Amino acid sequence: GFFFCLGRYNDDFDDGEDLADFDDNDFAEFEDMTDDSAAEAETAPPPRASPSLQPDEDEDEDEATVELEDGQDGFEDPDTQDQDIYSKYDQEEFEGIGDMEKTGQSMKDPLIIHTVPAHLQNSWESYYMEILMVTGLLAYIMNYIIGKNKNSRLAQAWFNSHRELLESNFALVGDDGTSKEAVSTGKLNQENEHIYNLWCSGRVCCEGMLIQLKFLKRQDLLNVLARMMRPACDQVQVKVTLNDEDMDTFVFAVGTKKAMARLQKEMQDLSEFCGDKPKSGAKYGLPESLAILSEMGEVTDGVMDNKMVHYITNHADKIESIHFSDQFSGPKVMQEEGQPLKLPETKKTLLFTFNVPGMGNTSPKDMDALLPLMNMVIYSIDKVKKLRLNREGKQKADKNRARVEENFLKQTHAQRQEAAQTRREEKKRAEKERIMNEEDPERQRRLEEAAQRREQKKIEKKQMKMKQIKVKAM
Amino acid sequence: MLSNNMADPRRQNKILRYKPPSTETNPTLEDPTPDYMNLLGMIFSMCGLMLKLKWCAWIAVYCSFISFANSRSSEDTKQMMSSFMLSISAVVMSYLQNPQPMSPPW
Repeated sequence: GFFFCLGRYNDDFDDGEDLADFDDNDFAEFEDMTDDSAAEAETAPPPRASPSLQPDEDEDEDEATVELEDGQDGFEDPDTQDQDIYSKYDQEEFEGIGDMEKTGQSMKDPLIIHTVPAHLQNSWESYYMEILMVTGLLAYIMNYIIGKNKNSRLAQAWFNSHRELLESNFALVGDDGTSKEAVSTGKLNQENEHIYNLWCSGRVCCEGMLIQLKFLKRQDLLNVLARMMRPACDQVQVKVTLNDEDMDTFVFAVGTKKAMARLQKEMQDLSEFCGDKPKSGAKYGLPESLAILSEMGEVTDGVMDNKMVHYITNHADKIESIHFSDQFSGPKVMQEEGQPLKLPETKKTLLFTFNVPGMGNTSPKDMDALLPLMNMVIYSIDKVKKLRLNREGKQKADKNRARVEENFLKQTHAQRQEAAQTRREEKKRAEKERIMNEEDPERQRRLEEAAQRREQKKIEKKQMKMKQIKVKAM
Repeated sequence: MLSNNMADPRRQNKILRYKPPSTETNPTLEDPTPDYMNLLGMIFSMCGLMLKLKWCAWIAVYCSFISFANSRSSEDTKQMMSSFMLSISAVVMSYLQNPQPMSPPW
């Protein structure tokens, strides 16, 4: 029925009715439902209709005809036709129509190629931030491995150069505390990637010696970058703990001026026993860069003998601090309650802090430079054993210690009283509870009576005391 | 024998075993960096996951790496691994939900 429909179509034109009214023919889909001009309506039907319509063109004037330009079939001017067709389409359905229209129109204008926005691209270049991040992580990992290895090599170099000296002085060199037998492990304990320690024991004049190699955090890239702003150096810290008979009672320190100022503020014993500001050591021949904190002049004279001065002067650049103390308890502890209730535990200690030369740019060879300092440590241990204060000095020292203890007790007096009071109340409460919990009424009564009698006795005692004090006052 | 004793300072009978210093008495000596970095890493991971911020997730990865580099050998590796895994998952989730590249803040 295609041509039949065509025929019908022609008849409809004779009636002069609008095409739009006929929506039940095969060409309904091509009919224009808008109020466009008749010319548009005429172009809507497909050009298939044109061959049969053409002969009618001349005859019908007030009927809708397919007006096509002479010599053209419907396809010759696709652009304008397309334009009209597409503009009728729902604007929302087709995105970018404007663009297409523009590109269609600009047959004479140069083509404008719009760039696709970055988030629609799929190339690797747009992910440059991510690539940056991953590169940063890789750099961090590389630095971790390199730094870790460097620290490990430095530690091993230190141990290799000091091993002979330590093994000839100590029966036990290297112990991690876990093995059953006290056998030298002969190697350093690795605490983490920048701290190594070594425990030596089994010698006259001392209990033991703990050596800590505190290297820079070369394995942490952040730290490496921070050190570019603020240079720091590796440190070796030696802590010798002594038995009671190995050392007389004195407190002494020598080191760089900065270190002395800091230690005097931070260390419990230095702040209590060495109240004066750090003094210059020029009297003994020490370089100007070093200062001395001492409990009394006699102590300084005793410690600073020729050999010691010789050691210190020759290696002044590597010495951060040297601290001898019979009252060593570490840095001051800040307690929340305000004051600690007990005096901190003290231990007779010699504490040495050495700076590794190189200011961070150390190589394993630099570790040999620290060997003379270890010799100084051994010398100090033997010396301190022999150093005894004379009578005057001993008296002064004992007075100092008594004074410090008294001060401490005074400060904590109020607190200790409170603590005692609470303890007494606790006891009373516990007793009362016991009485309450007694099943047997007889026993309950007896216990109550016993408690009452005790209370009575206490009150009487107090009254007696008050009477005595009154009598004495009179 | 006398000369031996004089020259050799070592005494087998005076050996004392190593006791690791207790950190309770000296809390100031401990380095707080790995703990802070761990906490920071977890916070950034959660931010990155919840708020879908890519840069948060990347910073979390960095924090967990820094925490690992500064950690003590006695510390639990499980905690390190868990914070590391959390930060990696934050990054992966951010990209699965939104494969677009990160835009720089400038």
